[in-house]
Amino acid sequence: MMRERRVLSPYTKSVLHYIALTIVSVIWLIPVYAMIINGFKSNLEVASSPVLVPPSHPTLSPYMAVAHVLETPIINSLIVAVIASLLSTILGSMGAYFFYVLSNSYFRGSGMLSNFLFSLIALGTFIPYEATLIPLTRFIVDINLLNSYPGLIVSMLIFYIPTAALLMSLFVTVVPKSLIEAARLDGAGDVKIFFKVILPLVIPGFISTLIFIIIESWNNFFLPLVLTTTPSMRLVPVAVEAYTGGYGTLYNETFAVATLASLIPLIIFIFLGRYFIRGLVALGGAGKGV
Amino acid sequence: MVEISAKSVYKIFSKKKGEVYALKDINLTIESGEKFGILGPSGAGKTTFMRIIAGLEAPTKGELLFDEKVVARNGKVIVGPESRNIGMVFQNWSLYPNMTAFDNIAFPLTNMKISKSEMRQKVEEVAKVLEISSVLEHYPRELSGGQQQRVALARAIVKSPSVLLLDEPFSNLDARIRDSARALVRDIAEKLRLTVIVVSHDPADIFSISNRVGVIFQGELVQVGKPEEIYNSPKSFHVARLIGEINELKGKVIEEDGKNILSIGNLAIPISGGYRGEVKVGIRPENLRLEEEPREEGWVEAGKVRVKITTYEGGHFKVTLTPLGDDQEIIVFMDKIPKEEEMKLFVRPSKIMFFKY
Amino acid sequence: MKKTSFLLILPTAIFGAILLYIVFYNVAISFTNWSLLHPIPSFSGISSYANVIHSFYFPTSLIHSLELSGSAVIFGNILGIGIAGLLYFLSSNKARTFFLSIIILPLAISMAVNALIWLWLYNYNLGVNWLFLRLGLPYVPWLTSTSMMMPSIIIIAIWAYTGLPALFYLASFLGIDKSIIEAARLDGASSFKILRKILIPNSANGFIVSTALLFLFTFRIFSIPYILSGGPTNIFMQTLVVFSYYLFTTEFFAQASALSTIIILIATAIVIPYALYGIKRWIKK
Repeated sequence: MMRERRVLSPYTKSVLHYIALTIVSVIWLIPVYAMIINGFKSNLEVASSPVLVPPSHPTLSPYMAVAHVLETPIINSLIVAVIASLLSTILGSMGAYFFYVLSNSYFRGSGMLSNFLFSLIALGTFIPYEATLIPLTRFIVDINLLNSYPGLIVSMLIFYIPTAALLMSLFVTVVPKSLIEAARLDGAGDVKIFFKVILPLVIPGFISTLIFIIIESWNNFFLPLVLTTTPSMRLVPVAVEAYTGGYGTLYNETFAVATLASLIPLIIFIFLGRYFIRGLVALGGAGKGV
Repeated sequence: MVEISAKSVYKIFSKKKGEVYALKDINLTIESGEKFGILGPSGAGKTTFMRIIAGLEAPTKGELLFDEKVVARNGKVIVGPESRNIGMVFQNWSLYPNMTAFDNIAFPLTNMKISKSEMRQKVEEVAKVLEISSVLEHYPRELSGGQQQRVALARAIVKSPSVLLLDEPFSNLDARIRDSARALVRDIAEKLRLTVIVVSHDPADIFSISNRVGVIFQGELVQVGKPEEIYNSPKSFHVARLIGEINELKGKVIEEDGKNILSIGNLAIPISGGYRGEVKVGIRPENLRLEEEPREEGWVEAGKVRVKITTYEGGHFKVTLTPLGDDQEIIVFMDKIPKEEEMKLFVRPSKIMFFKY
Repeated sequence: MKKTSFLLILPTAIFGAILLYIVFYNVAISFTNWSLLHPIPSFSGISSYANVIHSFYFPTSLIHSLELSGSAVIFGNILGIGIAGLLYFLSSNKARTFFLSIIILPLAISMAVNALIWLWLYNYNLGVNWLFLRLGLPYVPWLTSTSMMMPSIIIIAIWAYTGLPALFYLASFLGIDKSIIEAARLDGASSFKILRKILIPNSANGFIVSTALLFLFTFRIFSIPYILSGGPTNIFMQTLVVFSYYLFTTEFFAQASALSTIIILIATAIVIPYALYGIKRWIKK
């Protein structure tokens, strides 16, 4: 004897479920949609066309018009973001493994050292960059690196090594302790253990962290804003800002710039984003599910 | 109470390496009020079958009926788990960690339209029966394994389910309290006259609760019958081994002086029945003894055997031996370590099982 | 632990030391009177702090920052839970990853670009108002009314960052033993009830991580108010970080540092307990 209840059929429920998610997704994609379509409008069309209406006669001319403006910044951003994110992720991962070793060793003060270092990397990860403006600029000027790739990279490392160490310490703890102990008994030092044992095992986490930091460093606006003054050293977000100019400008070029500036992080995200998502969701204790 | 029937139920998982059949052509009717046991080794598909009954999974092919009403068919759940009125005790209890024992037990009732006072009364009633009244305000993590299991059982039966499903319900309990837990479940099921389905790899769980048993092997229902049928005349060697330790031996039946003799190496055992030639037999260790002289009726001397090694297991010595001139291993239980290397083996011929080659 | 083990922490330690140096350097400057008028700094006690706190901009920008971060925490958590709930009950893993990717997509776009896009979406005639008109909704004076300026920024922040709580709540939900959810299903609970009574109460980790991240990430948003308001001087969109940049560009260096110290203190007050209890708790799980 089954309980008779007025419930929606599983099929109806599932349809409603997908409708709800689709509505949310559509709302979420409106800005991205607007960004992509409006770069294809002609100068004539933008004067009266709402930003949510697709172009009637798509044209590439806005992209042509702005391409040269973004050429140098994109090259600059690529150099800085790739080097800074690779260095941060490798060096931060080493730090993360050190935390793991530290949290399993019990010498005097190891707990305090661990808490202090952990707080420090958390602060580095989350500190508002803007609040370090003056001393950071002074520091970069003092070591004579203003308006240079190394200057930008060093400033990013200050914030992204801690970010990598923090994220990677989430992933490293998944490696069983006994594995490290076994490697130690085999006579390996921690440096060797890190590169030969740990790193190969945390590659998914390493890739997640790398993706996050590439995107973060590519999109960082404030550091290049204050650490570069010459146009030839501009990074993408700063170059983009030149296209704000309120409502006076023709927005087709603005959107073309926005699309070009977002192209690389979007491509990385679309192709690799799921590894990032999986990595973080796995931390919640859920091995599968996404 | 509800009658449950499966009509050629398949469950197929698509993997990279092709299709895996978790269940193959299951046909079974579990009568209303029956206590049905599903026995099988882990990975045989018995839990999948139970989940299909619960509505947590859909059969890939075939139909499932509750009282002749189709609840799932060909990959679709037609009546969802929430509407099947099923009580289930999960292997790991699956108590809600954020709720007290009381709230855990009351949870199914909160999904029905009944008053608070009636709810309290029902919870207290079932808690009294299961002797957990004193721990109702505790959280699951504060309870012992046995208490958690009782809370899980209380939660499953408080809503007067039409069928009670038990998924390996005792495997997470200490061996010490398992038997009393089994007795409790059997009494409750008896008292409430529920249709009960218990799934386990442990024949002790099955035999203590059910009055009919189905054996699942590699997704197939290989034998259905009363517990004693499964025990005494298992259909295959696999089924026999599920129920307990058994010696699998190859031998030959020959005729000597008008009698049938089973010969295994140097061992010769007189048997009845019309077997001839090469045979495969199963002999349970309890039907074999290493002794000097036969003590009881029904035992015969089979011949001399050589002791290979003696180990200890579950309260007795487990002796591995071989017939002379043959390397098949035979296991015998003893209450002392055998003194000599070569000893006489006695056997109860009536208990020997013959299987198809 | 061998001595060579410390080689591993060396790079992190060096850059951590630079960070600390910068933070303390900042504190040091904040106790001087360094500005355009006093190019050679000299010690002046807490006068910079007094000047900043008593300035006209401080209370408004503090309120704006707290409004922004507070709203992002509240709405980000609510939306994050709602979306994670919708995602959790999907039966297909692929669909789950697909929808989650969309919600988290804004993280891939720089805030400077977001500012550009939303500047136009908020255009009175050509932006989303155009859509509102067709849906029969009234026009919203997004950036034209001073009272709508902060809400406009908050909407962008929520759009940009809700992916994080959605992801972390989903991770928490998926971490709960699946058979517990199945037990609740068999007990006749609806999905919504399972969300309310079982998933949310067992997701303390998701809450801690989401709240801290939402607060900290929105607290340091700079380019949105900076670009939408056309510079750091529009007091209706001025947050603490924009105010400090304004003090810097007008060369009130000591005051900018004093304000920065206050900003860092607020951030630290959230970061340290979060790191020591929140993240470590997440790791240990």
